[in-house]
Amino acid sequence: MEIKELMQELSAFKGVSNASMIRDNVVKLDIDKNSSKEFFTKLRDDFGFEHCSLITAIDNQPEFELVYHFTSINKSVTVGSTDMSVMTEVHVFLERDTPTIESISDLWGGANWHEREAFDLMGIYFVGHPDLRRVLLPEGFAGHPLRKDYVYEIHEEEW
Amino acid sequence: MAEMWISMGPQHPMTHGLWTLKVKVDGETITDADPELGYLHRSVEKMGERRKYFMNTTLPDRLCYASSTTWTHCYVLTVEELMNVEIPERAKYVRTIMLELQRLASHLMWAGSYMPDLGHITGALYFWRDRELFLNLLEVPSGSRLLYNYIRIGGVKRDLPDGFVEKAERVMKLFEQRLDEYSDLFENSKIFRMRTEDVGKFTAAQAQNLGITGPNMRGCGTKFDLRRNDPYEIYEEIDWDIQTREAGPGYGDCFSRYMVRIDEMKESMRIIRDCFKKMPKGPTLASTIPVRAQGEAFRRTEDSRGEALMYIVGDGTDRPYRWKIKSPMFTTISAAPHYLKGYKVADIPAIMGSVDICIGETDK
Repeated sequence: MEIKELMQELSAFKGVSNASMIRDNVVKLDIDKNSSKEFFTKLRDDFGFEHCSLITAIDNQPEFELVYHFTSINKSVTVGSTDMSVMTEVHVFLERDTPTIESISDLWGGANWHEREAFDLMGIYFVGHPDLRRVLLPEGFAGHPLRKDYVYEIHEEEW
Repeated sequence: MAEMWISMGPQHPMTHGLWTLKVKVDGETITDADPELGYLHRSVEKMGERRKYFMNTTLPDRLCYASSTTWTHCYVLTVEELMNVEIPERAKYVRTIMLELQRLASHLMWAGSYMPDLGHITGALYFWRDRELFLNLLEVPSGSRLLYNYIRIGGVKRDLPDGFVEKAERVMKLFEQRLDEYSDLFENSKIFRMRTEDVGKFTAAQAQNLGITGPNMRGCGTKFDLRRNDPYEIYEEIDWDIQTREAGPGYGDCFSRYMVRIDEMKESMRIIRDCFKKMPKGPTLASTIPVRAQGEAFRRTEDSRGEALMYIVGDGTDRPYRWKIKSPMFTTISAAPHYLKGYKVADIPAIMGSVDICIGETDK
């Protein structure tokens, strides 16, 4: 499948908006939180994105934003006749009071710890995650330090 | 027999850095595992939000002491994408040379620390002796031996000095002779092969789903290398091949991962030689470099250990609003239960050593 076709098919999906190509091999789009799981399942099974590269959580004050990067490794989607591997960048927006979203660690095993990290440092709750514990900070740590409203106890010097 | 949990680490010869591997054993057989991280967490991402873009180039250097240039390069590439900086042609070549020298040093560091895991102390001394040669080469333009801070936004710190090409050629010629010796010493060694063959196997489909990338994924036959599949710097114009192990005996096990890295070292030298041939003259640093950035950008590079990805959001000021680092080892360690299950406790050092763990980048 050519990347242009991929973009057309993805943008026709329920809940998808603002689909665009930000580079020759990258499709970027926004997805509604409620239809995200359905969309991710389709992305893996029908379009062959077999690798979840990264899940980023951003505190946009007030809402949270999740950015997913998926990679197609076996080239089920192509860019012309080049060897380029195609990526999809998916943005999901979450409200500050309810930072929850369905987990995708049952679809991609590699997403498991990315979700744990987003929970640990940003306090995003992934519903259906098999083992949602802190991964980098110790058990019993209070708060989520990458949130912009997190208050540090130490004195910070301005650089 | 009753099952029980054993904790290996954070102080254990197998761990190569501070982390804990909890294994559930039934007799000598591993039935489950649970890796634990966080001992080296320095909150690099948060630190980056407090410093200016150009100050941050020193931080990713410290992500992985064995492969520091590749991390600075990934950061700089992302910032250049964010700021739309065009870098001079010669700087691209110099960067490629430095990246491949770093890859050689990193793979040698891995090989040197993998051998004592298997009880082969001599191997450590041999490989680290050769790593020293490449550290000397990296020291010539950058001035330091471990944390270079050589790649800057807009190019590189300074041009390669006179005589660098000849010095590099001498080192590579010597190292090629030694690689032949090592193939007799390791690949033809029965003990080495008994410890590594048919141990720690995973398939290509498993690796892709679990997020295992880089040489570990190429060891199971996937022909995927970001230097070819999402080219950056000058890799498109250079003559080189992706190194994989084809299906058959020794496929997706510890030995195939060893062989992929050895073949990649030969390929790196081929890239460096081609760069020397094609390198044009000219400046190595862009004349104007912006300070502020607005918007978002990501770039991924082929780190020595797999897919490195950085995602930066700028809010119009001179500091990043959010800086996210993807470490290839983070997901590889998370997949440890999948490739440890069913093997013996004595195989753990051989398996966990073969994936080339670096805790600095994993814990961030």
